[in-house]
Amino acid sequence: MDTSLMSSPGVMMLFGLSPILALGLGGLLLMLAEAFGRPVVAHALEAQAIGAQPAGPEGQIVDAGAGRAAELALGAAVILFAGAIFSVALWLVGPENVTATERVAPYLLIDRFSVFFSFVVCLGGGIAALLAGGYLPEHRIERGEFFPLLVFCTLGAQALAAAGDLLSLFVALETMSLGVYCLVGLRRTSVRASEAALKYFLLGSFAAALMLFGAALLYGATGRTDLAGIGEAIAGLSGDGLEGRAAQILIALALLIVGLAFKVGAVPFHMWTPDAYEGAPTPTTGFMAVAVKTAAVAVLLRVLLVVFADERLGSWGTGWPPVLATIAVLSMFIANFIAGRQESVKRMLAYSSIAHAGYVFIGVVATSRSVDAQASVLFYLLTYTVSTLGAFGALILAGRYRAEAVSYEDLAGFGRRHPAAALAFSFFLISLAGVPPTAGFFGKLYVFKAAIQGELYWLVVLGLINSVIGAYYYLKVLVFMYMREPKPGAPFATPMRSGYVATALVIAACFVLGLGILPDTALEAAVAAVLGG
Amino acid sequence: MALDLVVEHYVLLSGLIFLIGAVGFVTRRNVLVQLMSIELMLNSVNLALVAFNRQHGGAMNGQMFAFFVIAVAAAEVAVGLAIVLQFYRLRATVNSDEADGLRH
Repeated sequence: MDTSLMSSPGVMMLFGLSPILALGLGGLLLMLAEAFGRPVVAHALEAQAIGAQPAGPEGQIVDAGAGRAAELALGAAVILFAGAIFSVALWLVGPENVTATERVAPYLLIDRFSVFFSFVVCLGGGIAALLAGGYLPEHRIERGEFFPLLVFCTLGAQALAAAGDLLSLFVALETMSLGVYCLVGLRRTSVRASEAALKYFLLGSFAAALMLFGAALLYGATGRTDLAGIGEAIAGLSGDGLEGRAAQILIALALLIVGLAFKVGAVPFHMWTPDAYEGAPTPTTGFMAVAVKTAAVAVLLRVLLVVFADERLGSWGTGWPPVLATIAVLSMFIANFIAGRQESVKRMLAYSSIAHAGYVFIGVVATSRSVDAQASVLFYLLTYTVSTLGAFGALILAGRYRAEAVSYEDLAGFGRRHPAAALAFSFFLISLAGVPPTAGFFGKLYVFKAAIQGELYWLVVLGLINSVIGAYYYLKVLVFMYMREPKPGAPFATPMRSGYVATALVIAACFVLGLGILPDTALEAAVAAVLGG
Repeated sequence: MALDLVVEHYVLLSGLIFLIGAVGFVTRRNVLVQLMSIELMLNSVNLALVAFNRQHGGAMNGQMFAFFVIAVAAAEVAVGLAIVLQFYRLRATVNSDEADGLRH
């Protein structure tokens, strides 16, 4: 190895930040390519030539990047997967050996925890970019800015998982959120999309403001903005200093939990989730369900375990564990019951993602009892990312323009008409339900195991009951696909053809199956990535 | 005769403004007023940050934080107004209760 190169702090700094820099620079390049690329208007011309309605409700806006979705999607996917590969390289070298990155601390902490999450969100973003490459042209959403926005949102998610200071935490959170608001409202001529974007924006900004006030209170109580410093200052409080500041710190804790639970989409802060997920273009929905949620859980873990690790705040009598346990139980039960009553498959998947937030929170609660529980949360988020994107990808694959798969009825007889697409859909739903040998099974297994080790038996029992309830609505899709026939004259879904969507599904399927058969490598990585481990 | 203002007064004022913003957001149904309420909340945070900075002094973390909050709030309003405008074009209303097309 070239020791002179590796010992240069500048090079090591670049290497340590390479996952983040790859996305930042790549996003800028993509934005330039989108702005200066020649729009392809062939699609609009073709529509006029065959006498289709000239000013339809969708896709009549021709601007820079129009018709270039396929090229831009490839570019975005390359950038995002490059970010994932840089994360793996950094992981193999070991972030603790790259000491040059200490100069960006505490604003960005390049540790195994953040590198793990960097990989997960880049993987999720890359698969979402490929899905969009098929979905946007098919559904006549000729908007090239989707891809730079997607890359910058993923950058925000990476930075959020790496944030070690209240300041960078807030900026990263907003970087991620502002982009996602735009991605939700991408279909500018759709009333539903604009309503979804409006609701998500209003509630998201409200939650961010609540969180920010909590951050200001923490700064006031301790005089520090770096998370580790606040944690030390809180641990050092006693006597009079504690008397005066206890209320302030507890309010800050509550505001931070509320703000982050909003971003995760956990009950009772989930009101926006089904609407925003349903109104958004499906690749955006997939991205929101995985990357935004994953990054929010990452920062929640860091806040709880670094700032509020004090035994008074982390205890079951006076601290956050009972609050999070309540959120977990509510999320699972309420989301699962409502999901079972949905007629739209996309809305069902939205509620299912709320229920999964509940399972994740079981693991987060268990971290108050053992360090190992963190590993189960990390592993769960990885399995959840690939399974959920696979399910949304299969939903995209199942529908083409004006023959989309919306309700269960649309999917009746789908298994007989299109066995391959139906098989893919079934596979990812089975993983979400947690049936072996898929990734979802081991994800749930390790979370429940961590909760048992933490002696939270009642949470495990409630989680298992919910897994059974959840299986009902996942299997309902399978029943419709394989055992029902469409009613005469009723519309039914026809699959689209797209190499991008197929590639995305193959990547997701490899991970789901790989993690389901050989979970050891990923689990060891998750164990190595825990905070304070 | 100088009024004897201490940091606590500023923090109390900031908390009050924050509450006004939060209550405004929850009770009003005009999207523009809701946006203004969010701005009020963000600005109350700035006031609190600057006041706390005076209390703690040192590295000027609070003042720096306030600058970042101002910048992010500007970006948020830009995106927010675009979304409100799009909603208004399609629905000809700025009432957030009328964003009900997604309920079944």
